[in-house]
Amino acid sequence: MDENVILDIQHVTKAFPGVVALNDVSFQVHRGEIHGLCGENGAGKSTLMKILSGVYPHDTYEGDIFYNGELLKLEGSAIHKAAEKGIAIVYQELTLVPGMTVGENIFLGKEPVQRGSINWDHVYSETQKILNEYHLDVHPQDVVKNLGVGKMQMTEIAKALSENAKILILDEPTSALSEAEVTQLMEILGTLKEHGVTCIYITHKLEEFFRITDSVTVLRDGKVVTTQPTKSLTSEKLVQYMVGREMKERFPKGNRLPGDVIFEVDDIFAEDPDKGNEVLKGVSFNLRKGEILGIAGLMGSGRTELVMTIFGEYGKITKGSMKLYGQEIKIENGNSAMKHGISLVPEDRKRHGLILIQSILKNISLPNLDRFASFLRIDQDAELAESLKFAKELAIKTPSLLVPAESLSGGNQQKVVISKWLMSGPKILIMDDPTRGIDVGAKFEIYKLMNELAEKGISIIMISSDLQEVLGMSDRIMVMCHGSSNGTLEIAEATQERIMTLATGIA
Amino acid sequence: MNFSELGQRFRKNIQTYIIIIALVAIWGVFAIITKGGYFMPQNISNLFRQMTVTGFLAVGMVLVMVTGGIDLSVGKLAGFVSVIAALFQRDVWFKLIPNEPILSAVLTVFVSMLVGTLFGMYQAYVTAYLRVPAFIVTLGGMFILNGGILLATGGQTIAANQPGFSYIAQGYLKPTIGWILGIVVVAFLILLMFANRRTKRKYGFELKPFYQDMLRTAFFSLLVLVYVAVVNKYNGVQVPVLLLAITAIIVSYISTNTRFGRYAYAIGGNREAARLSGINIKKQLFLVFTLMGLLSGIGGVVLASYVGYGTIAAGQGYELDAIASCVLGGTSTLGGSGTIFGALVGALIMASLNTGLQMMNVAPAWQYVLRGLVLVVAVIVDVYFKKSSN
Repeated sequence: MDENVILDIQHVTKAFPGVVALNDVSFQVHRGEIHGLCGENGAGKSTLMKILSGVYPHDTYEGDIFYNGELLKLEGSAIHKAAEKGIAIVYQELTLVPGMTVGENIFLGKEPVQRGSINWDHVYSETQKILNEYHLDVHPQDVVKNLGVGKMQMTEIAKALSENAKILILDEPTSALSEAEVTQLMEILGTLKEHGVTCIYITHKLEEFFRITDSVTVLRDGKVVTTQPTKSLTSEKLVQYMVGREMKERFPKGNRLPGDVIFEVDDIFAEDPDKGNEVLKGVSFNLRKGEILGIAGLMGSGRTELVMTIFGEYGKITKGSMKLYGQEIKIENGNSAMKHGISLVPEDRKRHGLILIQSILKNISLPNLDRFASFLRIDQDAELAESLKFAKELAIKTPSLLVPAESLSGGNQQKVVISKWLMSGPKILIMDDPTRGIDVGAKFEIYKLMNELAEKGISIIMISSDLQEVLGMSDRIMVMCHGSSNGTLEIAEATQERIMTLATGIA
Repeated sequence: MNFSELGQRFRKNIQTYIIIIALVAIWGVFAIITKGGYFMPQNISNLFRQMTVTGFLAVGMVLVMVTGGIDLSVGKLAGFVSVIAALFQRDVWFKLIPNEPILSAVLTVFVSMLVGTLFGMYQAYVTAYLRVPAFIVTLGGMFILNGGILLATGGQTIAANQPGFSYIAQGYLKPTIGWILGIVVVAFLILLMFANRRTKRKYGFELKPFYQDMLRTAFFSLLVLVYVAVVNKYNGVQVPVLLLAITAIIVSYISTNTRFGRYAYAIGGNREAARLSGINIKKQLFLVFTLMGLLSGIGGVVLASYVGYGTIAAGQGYELDAIASCVLGGTSTLGGSGTIFGALVGALIMASLNTGLQMMNVAPAWQYVLRGLVLVVAVIVDVYFKKSSN
């Protein structure tokens, strides 16, 4: 066994019902290096990280992982065991308690106790020691919610280090950071390396691999494409490795001729309604009748924020305008969007799309009750008849419309959400990642449905994290990067490489 | 159908009917202990009359809780309204229109409902539009109303026992009218069953076997007729019970057959999904809390008429009875589910415990302990069945 290898992953395969997330993955991470992990959304990075951190215990996957030359067997409540062994993850969503101080957070769950009470002096002096050692620029008694995202992340890193982490996994640590904070993070990672801590670094921003990593492993469709020293790579090569595959017949071909432009978005800016920072920084595009416009972009590029803003349920538009049929429109909320004929199938169907405990019928009719209802009464016959029509048209597989939405499979739940919005008779249907987490067969049905809708003259805006899906379904593709539109490609000229180039902002 | 499926179906049904089973069990225990005294017509009549004030509050509370809210002020609001009603009876109408008992009663009812609604609107506004949590707003409301009661009564007890006004909570219908009402209700139940079956058949839904529907309808019809027969043996159908039944039917209809009701359940079920479905959440919450105020106002009228006085202790603790009734009746404390019917059965359970324990001469202190235990045990059982049916 090579002494220099801290982590040796051998032939790891992890399958979920309907999809193989990791397929015979093998690579090695060397002691003290910063190892980049790279791949499109859905390539298997998160699954791999979840295995390493113990979220998926040892007996739920095939293959072996050797850690310091020993077989890594995380079982049962494995999450804690991974941390004990020195593998720590800094998650994308920070896992700190906002109302507590940095010191309290770092010692949460392992507070030093002296005669029945917590020894706060020890907490804060130890915290200070860790912070000093790694040059982390936070104060032990700062309250976490008052810190910026960058400093929260430092706290998170300090927390991992306080548990004697030997391997630190950073999952897209820079997606919410400003440029200055990114630089600071890079310096911290340099310090960690000097201290002999190994890092696995996941990011969508390709330039960061070249700034910081020693070697890079590229995953695609759950397989390792290559592991190489970063020096031997270029960003063009990296993009090729990430996307280089052939398109299979996954997408039904539509037969449509998009018409005139009906909707225009002109250079809009918008702020996060809670935090007040600018999330959209100049987005422009137009939409033709009966067209499917794909919106591509990495996570955090502002795709979802864009469509929610258009739908009137995100921040106020601070600059720029929207025109529908040449008329400028203002959309105050979802209700006024619907009145303008704009509907939105939200990204997270369970959180935003469905009322899981209610029946399919009630879910479908909810935004459309105005049609069936007078002040005194909902015409439940009409409601039922109309809902049945859509349920049949979309072939929702269910014993009855009266069963709760939570009893359906993901694909059928998504059809319920789509039915609900189709019933409102939209001219523009926004679909935010419409096939996320549903199986291949259901995906195909949804693609067919999208084609049919477009042929009927409905214009569709489709966000997708899956590049192939964007390429397979769209007439044109607008690519977003860092909150602005970075170009619109006609389908004929669009390639995965070009989209990735625009999305990562290297061009 | 295999056995596990059968078991699941059984569990699902038992969950629905568990509350009714609990009620019957409680009645059975009391009947045995009191050697049948519990089922004397007079006791049954009083039992139902006793639950009416809590009943009105519980009817409104279901909708509030369904949206994910809570209203701690309803007891004191009903109490405050009862005091106002007494004051108007004694100091205003008696001076202006001394010989018009019916008119003065009507005017009192109107003023009471108005006071309740206005206070409800105030709390609704602060909750819905100023986004202060309902718990805080209504806790504050409880204090404010407590002060209001002391101010209005000046610490004294005010009589509210004028003949017209007393009829509201102490009146009885003539036996023949009671029978006619009972038969109308039964006819309505039967019609409803056929209408339901027709709709289901029309849209190809799974129809329960005819005998099952028939049995169910027969069961409820029998219940109504037995009830009329029993109370007729005492004084007749109680006016406040009739008022509560009408109110419950109206609110129940609203909750299932109008947009207002649907939106309330949608907001409680998933606020974000409701918002993205174009529902004006603030407006809907405002309406729900306002309706709660109106129902508290009606509860206050019945309270004043029932007790015959407006007192400083009026309505004390009723909010807790109302919340307990809803929870017993299956309303989720997290919002999204709950029925008016369930809450009324819950209120009936609370009242049944009350009268039963009183008949047994259990000390008031132990009555509280037992009622508290019943509430918690009921929820434990409910949680258990919910878990095992998943």
